[in-house]
Amino acid sequence: MNPHVLDKVPLITLVGPPNSGKTTLFNYLCGKNLKTVNYPGATVEYSIAQLNEKYNLKGEVLDSPGIVSLHPNSPDEHIAIDSLYSHPKYGMADVVLVTIDSSQISRHLLLAKQLIDSGFNLIIVLTMIDILNKRGLEISDEQLSKEMNCSVVSIDGRTGKGIDKLINVVESNLDKVKLNKKKNPVKPNGELKFNSILDSYKLIESIEKKVIHENSGNHQNINIEAANKRIRVLNSFIKNNSNSDLLTYKTDKILLHKFWGLFFFFIIMSLTFTSIFWLAEPVMNLVDILFTFLSAQAVNILGNNWFGDLISDGLISGTGSVMVFVPQILILFLILGLLEDSGYLARGAMLIDRPLSKIGLNGKSFVPMLSGFACAIPAIMAARTISNKRERFLTIFIIPLLSCSARLPVYALLIAFLIPADKAWIGGLILATIYVFSISSSVIVAAIMNKFKHKLVKEEDNSSFILELPAYRKPKLKVVLNNSITSSKIYLKRAGPIILIFALILWFLTYFPNYNPKIETQDLTQEQIKQEISSERLSTSYASDLGKIIQPIMTPVGMDWRVGVSLIAAFTAREVFVSSMALIFKVTSDNQNDLQASLLDAMRKAEIGNTGEKLFTTATIAGLIIFFVFALQCLSTVAISKKETGGWRIPILQVLIFTFTAYILMFITVNGLRALGIS
Amino acid sequence: MRTASELKFGEKVIITHVDENHPSSRRILEVGFTPGQEIELMNKSIFNDPLAFSVRGTLIAIRKNEADCIIVT
Repeated sequence: MNPHVLDKVPLITLVGPPNSGKTTLFNYLCGKNLKTVNYPGATVEYSIAQLNEKYNLKGEVLDSPGIVSLHPNSPDEHIAIDSLYSHPKYGMADVVLVTIDSSQISRHLLLAKQLIDSGFNLIIVLTMIDILNKRGLEISDEQLSKEMNCSVVSIDGRTGKGIDKLINVVESNLDKVKLNKKKNPVKPNGELKFNSILDSYKLIESIEKKVIHENSGNHQNINIEAANKRIRVLNSFIKNNSNSDLLTYKTDKILLHKFWGLFFFFIIMSLTFTSIFWLAEPVMNLVDILFTFLSAQAVNILGNNWFGDLISDGLISGTGSVMVFVPQILILFLILGLLEDSGYLARGAMLIDRPLSKIGLNGKSFVPMLSGFACAIPAIMAARTISNKRERFLTIFIIPLLSCSARLPVYALLIAFLIPADKAWIGGLILATIYVFSISSSVIVAAIMNKFKHKLVKEEDNSSFILELPAYRKPKLKVVLNNSITSSKIYLKRAGPIILIFALILWFLTYFPNYNPKIETQDLTQEQIKQEISSERLSTSYASDLGKIIQPIMTPVGMDWRVGVSLIAAFTAREVFVSSMALIFKVTSDNQNDLQASLLDAMRKAEIGNTGEKLFTTATIAGLIIFFVFALQCLSTVAISKKETGGWRIPILQVLIFTFTAYILMFITVNGLRALGIS
Repeated sequence: MRTASELKFGEKVIITHVDENHPSSRRILEVGFTPGQEIELMNKSIFNDPLAFSVRGTLIAIRKNEADCIIVT
């Protein structure tokens, strides 16, 4: 059946319960050509790589998301399990490695047993032997291999001991597969029977008694009583000598404490967000300076003609506006990864399950919502871990309200306009307020939408929160760093081209048709001539024609078509607002200042028409900020929301509700502030 | 008849039965809450829900109403 077997490079798939050391094993095995697979892309995308060259074995290793059993409970498990049977791109695995935490074999063997019953060609990889040993126990590979009727290899995740043996076993297993005709695993059909789980566990417990021994004990003589005692030692959480369990127990007494738990939760979350800004800011400045420099160099080299302007203003500044917030996304993913790897994220989810369930969400909405502060796209995909459809849709619904990093450059520009340069801390305060505002808005919207929950999703579904709280441990920085870099790359690949293309389209619209206008040059300095040409070019451009159509919408909120064009351009992706403003308002491009400073300067001078009335005031800037908090201006978000909810209903509702609210609130803010005497 | 949601801290009990009619019961079994197992209540979240139990050498958080389907000695 399977064409893979003989000629193609064999596919080795890693499967395992969450926290079973699967990713560590993957990192040991993988060599060149590591890539992440977008489709079917569960919570985290699948990673695939060639087997490391040093093992002298050809093969591809596929890492799959963690699963508890072959019977799915949520959309992400569905995808993970379906693709085990038949991966849409890589077909079926030639051999499956299942990682089993040896200190938890009574739980983890369930998956291994289901895989064997289902007909997979399986090798069991035992991990965390050191934890088992610390408990004064050891496990017999041979005995387990006999009981389960498949190969068993133990590895040490810290030293890599046992990997070579694993490779040998994989190799001889693949040879065997070549000789025999491979059987095709059959997916269990129908619902999992309650009693069949009980039977599986009974079998597993009897196996456990046979394979787990006391360290110094005699392996041959096992009496049932002693075996039972061992199992009890294995089951009890703190009654053994393992330091990591004791540490977890003590830490949880504080971090999951009724009062202190909540206190530390807020401290940890605040630290997470503030550190994103502190750590990213210097890098962002560097990126900005670099692209400003490149842009100026391009003009110097290519000359002051349309081509030079295209490269410098369109291409280089456009790219720069994408690259400038990569540091922030990278750092957010990094901190999220560290929190997850240390074991805290699961606890955070547990802490706020109850409050979130009051507004129709779930504790498992916590991680998607947190990711929403980096980018709505991975966040909406992460909502797949929520098994209840209504809770999942509601989570997806409010994610665009959480202040994603694409809004940061916009806020940075608008806030910089509001505050004097020497009082940067006020800016930080305003930004924090915007974040708190965006979180409260998402909570309010969720609560309101929850009132219409029966309209949102009709079918009733069991709401559930079952989550393993892994033992606290030191995060593996290398693994986390790798994952954050991969996530940032995926983000760049998705959002980058859209932003760049629209930056170029916008450049075209603001530059043509009258790209070389004739002006009176008498008595003017070189600098003034440049300015005159630019503004004449813009006011006769296509963008200006377009802008005049939307002028009626912009007048009530005290703005003109130039802001309108930027806002419309921002519907492709929010960051485009900044590059679009730069194109429209940056009348001169002098080399002394960076992009933002010269743009701010131009914004301060801008007037509405010829009335002499300032275009940007405290009121209009505040209005713009409010607009950006609510408006759903991101094509990629709309696309992913459609894909994940399986229809246009949710994304259309999101666009309409959020954008309408955004405009109304902008109107109220601008005119309210003016009524209060703040222009 | 007592359920796991009524446990006090530090109290170790044996599961006698899991209510098959509860919609979460299958997943409850799959994560390791099976009859005969010893469990202990380790943590309660704010508002006393969800609850974290030690079972089979690990910690599992479940909601109070899900703990209600676990009948204990």
